[in-house]
Parts: sequence; structure tokens; C-alpha cells
Amino acid sequence: MPTHEGRPRWFLWVALVVLLVAVQVLLLTLTLHYRSSKAQQEVEAGVLASAEELRKMLGADLRRVLNLPGREAAPSLWRERAQALLIERPELLRVERRDTTFALTQALDTPTRSPLFARIPRAQAQLETDLACRAAERRSEPSYSRSYFVPHAEGGGIEVIDLCIAERAGETLTGHVVATFGLPGLLDQLSATAPPPGLDLAMLEPDGTMLAHGPQRSGAGVFRASRLIDLPGTAIQLQLNSPAAQPSLVPDLITTMVVGLSLTLFGVVVLLARDVRRRARAESELAESLAFRKAMEDSLVTGLRARDRQARTTYVNPAFCAMVGFDADELLSSEQPPYWPAELAGEYQRRQEERLASGAQTRDAFETTFVRKSGERFPAMVFESALRDASGAHAGWMSAIVDLSAQRRVEEVARQQQDRLQATARLATIGEMASLLSHELNQPLSAIAAYATGTLNVMDAHTPGTALDAEMWASLHVAARQIAQQSERAGRVIKSVHDFVRRRESAREAVAVAELVEAVLPLVRLQARKSDTAIEFDPEPGLRKVVCDRAMVEQVLLNLTRNGIQAMQGAPHAGAGDNGGNRLGDRRRLLVLRARASTPQWVLLSVIDSGPGVDDEVARRLFTPFFTTRSEGMGLGLSVCRTIVEQHGGALDFENLRDASGAVRGVEFRFTLPAERAGTPAARAAASETSPATLTNEG
Amino acid sequence: MTTPELGLSMVYLVDDEEVVRQGIAWLLRSRRLLSEGFDSGEAFEAALEQHAASGTGPEDWPRAPSCLVLDLRMGGMSGLALFERVIARGLLETLPVIFLTGHGDVPTAVAAVKRGAFDFVEKPFSNNALVDRVEQALAASAAALLARRELAARQRRLEQLSKREREVMELVASGLSNKAMAEALQVSVRTIEVHRASVYEKLGVQSAVELLNALNSLSAPRS
Repeated sequence: MPTHEGRPRWFLWVALVVLLVAVQVLLLTLTLHYRSSKAQQEVEAGVLASAEELRKMLGADLRRVLNLPGREAAPSLWRERAQALLIERPELLRVERRDTTFALTQALDTPTRSPLFARIPRAQAQLETDLACRAAERRSEPSYSRSYFVPHAEGGGIEVIDLCIAERAGETLTGHVVATFGLPGLLDQLSATAPPPGLDLAMLEPDGTMLAHGPQRSGAGVFRASRLIDLPGTAIQLQLNSPAAQPSLVPDLITTMVVGLSLTLFGVVVLLARDVRRRARAESELAESLAFRKAMEDSLVTGLRARDRQARTTYVNPAFCAMVGFDADELLSSEQPPYWPAELAGEYQRRQEERLASGAQTRDAFETTFVRKSGERFPAMVFESALRDASGAHAGWMSAIVDLSAQRRVEEVARQQQDRLQATARLATIGEMASLLSHELNQPLSAIAAYATGTLNVMDAHTPGTALDAEMWASLHVAARQIAQQSERAGRVIKSVHDFVRRRESAREAVAVAELVEAVLPLVRLQARKSDTAIEFDPEPGLRKVVCDRAMVEQVLLNLTRNGIQAMQGAPHAGAGDNGGNRLGDRRRLLVLRARASTPQWVLLSVIDSGPGVDDEVARRLFTPFFTTRSEGMGLGLSVCRTIVEQHGGALDFENLRDASGAVRGVEFRFTLPAERAGTPAARAAASETSPATLTNEG
Repeated sequence: MTTPELGLSMVYLVDDEEVVRQGIAWLLRSRRLLSEGFDSGEAFEAALEQHAASGTGPEDWPRAPSCLVLDLRMGGMSGLALFERVIARGLLETLPVIFLTGHGDVPTAVAAVKRGAFDFVEKPFSNNALVDRVEQALAASAAALLARRELAARQRRLEQLSKREREVMELVASGLSNKAMAEALQVSVRTIEVHRASVYEKLGVQSAVELLNALNSLSAPRS
């Protein structure tokens, strides 16, 4: 990742994490807070209900105590009724009747527990009772005493409060009824009804001194609420203590869920971050590879073109645009490719339809002609293959297009150079033969000059008007005929040279071997005559025509025959023949031109001399250009010969011929030319013309 | 051209091409010259061999003024090789050689002229230039033949001198006076005079100067 982008990104990630943590903490805090306040509320509500319940209970107990029979009733009845009351209400520990002087007249302890004042006498613990009774007298209403501790006989003790009711008969005080409530009992009664279960209820003095509490003291002391209950004469604080501890993170389900979700969220964020990073990397890699592909396509010199199955162009690369000179937009928008030459468009269209019909299997290369925007036509090579989409379905075609015009130009230049070289070689051949040719021309010209001058001499010597004698007339006739013949001969020499040197269109045609040989024979004979060489042409009967460039092959024949003749000239005669047809009868210089069908497809032409052969040293360099064994030679002959033959697809080589004793008795130079194929001559010629070129095709 | 005392001139044509030989023969005939053709150096060499076998030496053939028209370039023995044979046989004076050359052979022909050939004519030759040169060559041949004949005659006369006459002739040639000669030979002056007159008569000379010339012409070719 690039550094200048990395920092904000890194920063963003940190910010995100911080934010996330903050939110999580806040959420946890809020959760805890909610739970705390909920517990608190529960406690508050509980204490409220308990206080109400306590008030109601105390009120009910007050009414019961008031319902006890008064002074006018029999003490037994009171006792009976008090007994029933004490059994009914377990919180009531003792009921007393006192007179106006606060002296105890009647007292009854609850039968459910041991008598209250067993340890200490009542008199020692009735200060608060006394105060309450006075308050009741004063206010003419029942009054409660402050709580006080009564120790038990068996150890321990109990907090109690007294309810004092002033009995009046009219306006006069008749006595007091004191009821003693045990606070634990009250608490037990209260716990049984009012507060939500599990909560720890306690009674405290307003200053916080514990008076009574529930049996199990389960309160955790974290969530508590107290309510001060005002009773006439005193106040009791009721405290509710929830057993719930401070809400902690772990054991709580909600908290666990919240934490779990937070962790999950965090994990998700981490995963997301990793995913994002992976995606970013993949994206950058993708962008890189796309850029690479684009650069590749842009830098290609090969034109690329994609077409869909309806043959609409869907993509072209810049090289193709440059090649045809149209913009990519023009190419993509046009219905019919603008680079189709107008005159061939119909044909291309037809071929394209054929291709469309042929389906996806097409994969081929063909040559075609396109036209540039400038109107210039150019040959192009198109390599086309089916294009498949990701699912493998045939989506269209992809073509690579190579502009062949430069290549064609190079080929053309090469061909012209080759032509020039061959023309030069032909001229060089003639140049090497110049001396021979001038002799060949001089001979008939000399004869002509001699006959003409002689004839003139005769005419000058003859007296006009007189008749010539018959012998002289015959001589003149002979002379004139000789002049005519020799002129013709000179003309033939010139023509043979001209025919050979003349530049001809290089074209392959089917030619009979005999025709080729006859074309060079005049020149060959010119040389042969000077060196007493017999020329023999030995063609196989029924030989096929050969497909070749006449002018070139003629030159090969001329070069090889000339080499053969000269080889025989330079050396002492080889292979004396006693049946030789030569003038002096002691020489046998024979050059054989042989033509044979080596295979059905090839014709083998041999030039066989009876010279001294080719020694190894010369043989190694024989085909090297400018290598020659002759002072006047240019050394182009054999190398050009080999080039020409190889251009025809044939091969040129040579072999020393040996007789039975192993002595070299000549050399055979031979080369192959392609034979005409079976069929009609016209068709064959046409086929040989067109076969190298690929048929024009649409691309 | 004929030189009566030598007989009919003969031109020998050596060219490997028949039509050229015939043409030149026709041309020579139109100038009243006889010719004989040979189609190769070997053929002419064979003819020379035949002459040599029948005679005794260069003196015997050719007897008539002759000239050899020789093509420089031929198959088989070349014109130059045949020319060398002619030189070797000592026939160069009486059988002048005119070369026929093609365009490219001029340097060879020039070299041949330096070696003693009469001339060369380039093919194709114009008009009568060849015939004119042939006639000049024949004239040269005739002159050579006449000179040779004269020489032979003098040789014969010299051989007719007696021993004493030969001594006197040598002394005359060395420029001595009659008296000095008489003293040298220890004969009388008169005797010297008689011998001297006899020598003059036999050798066909009138004076000592003529005698010297005659002696010089005899001895020069032999040196």
C-alpha cells in the first residue's frame, strides 16, 4: 500500500477501533447502570410496599387492641379476648392493662414464646412505655413508644416497641392498655406478605441503629432503600436490602450477551478489515494486470480485433486503428467494417456469413486485402480463433491482424535484387564469352567481307558490256549465296546472345526440357565448336514438362555446359576414343546433356563432361560466390546456378565420374526441377501460378 | 602475281572454318592469286612434313613465291604453334606469315609480328587490304627466293675457282696490291694478274669493290 495513503487509512482504522471500544464501554456502562437502577427501583418499590404494609398491619393491630373489652367488662373476658388476640397475632408479645397511675393491673404474655420479662422485671424496662402512655394521654390518641431492648432469659434479647392507648370514660382517664410488639415478629409478618421474596427487610432506628432484621440477612448491601415510618410517638426506619450485588460483567446474561456481541462485532470488524485489505490488494493487482494488459495491447504492432457472434466489432487495439487509419469509435460504431474494400465487400460479407454459420470451431489464418482510410489497399494476414466467455460459451471471434505491405515491399525489393543479380550474371556470362562471341561474329563477317570484296574485284576487272563466262558466273553465284548465308549466321549469333541476355518477366511456366536445351544450344555449340567438343542431348522419352522460369534455367544450363566445355579444353584429353568422330580422330571430347525423370515429381537434368574432374580443394569452394578457377571468370556462375535451382525447389550437386579403374573420367553436374503435375496443361500452369499465394479471404 | 622465273605464286590458307577459307580463296582468285586451304594447323604441318621428306631442306621448298595466311585462333593446334613450327623449319623468309586475328587477339598478333611474322590483319578485314598485304608478302617471298637463287649461283661460281685463284681472291678481298700479293705468294706479278682476271671472270665481277660485295653477300647468310 502506498505510504502517503497508508497513514490516513491506518488512522481511520485506529479511530474505528477506538470508537468501537468507546461505544462498547458506553453500552456496558449503560447496561450496568440500567441494571443498577432497576435493582434500586425494585428495592425502592419494595420498601414502599413494605412500609405501607407495616402501616396497615400496625393499624389493624391497633384496632384489635382497641376492640379488647374495656374496664367495664369482666377481667376474665379481657383475658380471654387478649389471649385470642395474642394467638392470632404473633407479632404481639404482651398485652397489659394499667390504671391511671400507670400501675400494672392485668398482663398477658403470648403463649407462643417464653414470657418477655423473664430476665429483667417489667418495672426496669418501662421507661419508654411510660413516655408513650403520657404522650397518649396528652394527645388523646394511641401512641407508640420508642423501641427498647428486652434481654432474654436464655441469652440474647429482642427489640420491642409498646403501643399505649389511654382508656377514657368520657373525659376522664380510666387507665391504659399497653400492647408490646416484637420487632422481629413484625418483620416476620411483613416479610411473609409485603416485600418481594428474596429481599432482606430490616428495621432501623432513624439514626441507623439496627433494630431487627430478617432471619437470613441475605442483603448484599449494594441496593437498599429505607423508608421512615412515622408512628405516633416514634418513627421506625424500614430498610430493604436487595441480595443483588453490584452488577458484574461476567455472570450476567445480558452483560454476557452484550460483551459477546461486542466481541463478535469486533471480530467481524477485524475480519472485515482483513477482507477489505485482501480486496484492496486484489484490486490493485487487478488494476496492475489490467494496466499491463492495456500497455501490452497498446504496444503491440499486431492489430487485434474482437467480434461478437453477430460479427459486430467489439474491441480493437490501437495498432489495428493505426493500421487501418480509423478511430476505435468509427470501427466500433460502423455496421460494416469501413476497412473492407468497396469492391470486395459483397464477397467478404458472404464469407463472413459462412463463417457465422460454421459455428465456433473456426480457427484459421488467411490472407486478405484491407483498405486504409486514405484509400490505400494493403495485404493483411488474419489469424482468427473463436472467443469463449468465462463459461466457455462461444462469444465471438478474436483476430490478430498483421500488415503485410512492408513485408511485401521487402519481398519485392528482394525479388528485384535477385532479378538484377541474375540479369547481371547473365551479362557476366556473356561478358566472359565476349572473346568467343566476337570470334563467332568475325568468322561469318570475314567470309562475307571476303566474298563481297572478291565479287567487287571480279566486277571491276570485267569489261562492262561483255558476257561473263559460265564458270565465273557460277562463282559469283556461289559468292552471293555465301554472303547471304553468312549474314544469316551472324544474325543467329547475335540473336542467340540477345535471347539469352534479354530480360524476361520471371514467370513459372511448364516447359519441355528439349525446349530449354534447344534455347541454349546455339551458344553451347559456339563454344563447343572451338574446342572440338561433341554435344549430345539425351532426353528420356516421354519426359514430363518442368515448371520453371525459363530464362533462369537456361542460364543454369549455359553455365554448366560452358564449365564442362572449358574443363575439357584446359586439360589433356581424357578417355581417348578410337571410334571418336572428331576430325583428327585422336580426341574424344563429349558433353552430354541428360534428362531423366528421377521421381514422378522431379526431373533430373545432368551435364556430364569428360574432363579432368573436380579436385577436393576446388570442390569445397565451388559454390562460393566469386570463386573461380579461370582468369576471365567472375565466379558468379555456380553460386547463381545453385540459387536459381533452389528457388525452384530443386537441388544442384555434382559428382566425379570414375571408370572401372577408379580414374576420374569426367564430372556430372546435376540438378532437379519440379515436374509438371498431371492434368490439363492449362490447369497445371494456372495451378502453379496461384498455388503459392493464399486465396483472398475476408477478415 | 607471277614472277616468271619462279613460277606461280601460292597462298596457303590455314583456317578451321571452311567458309572463311572459301571466301578468302574466292577473294584471292578475284585478284588472280592461287590458294590452297588447310583446315587446321596439323593439316598444314603434315603437308610441310611431306615437303621436307621429299626434299633436302628449306632451299627446296617453296620454289614459287608463297605466303601463309594463318588464323590465330583455331581448335587443335593454334595459329601461334604453327607459326613456331614455320620458324623452326627456317621458312620464315620464303613463306611470310600473315595472321588473321579477331578483336581480342591483337596483342598476341603484335607479339607474333615482333617474332618475325609479316603482318596481321584483323577480322573482319575490309576491301582488298588482305589481298594487298598478301601480294606484298608474295613479293617479299619472291625477293627472298631470287636472292637465295643468286646466292646459290655465286656459291657455285666460287666453287669453280682453283686453289690459287681462291688465294688470290682472298688477298684481293683483303685489299693488297698485285705486287704485295706476288710477294706474299712468291709468284710474279703477271701471274697474279692472270689469276685475278680469271677470278673476276668466274665470279662475274668487274672490280675489287664488286668482288667484296659479292663475297659479303655470300658469307652474310651463313654467319
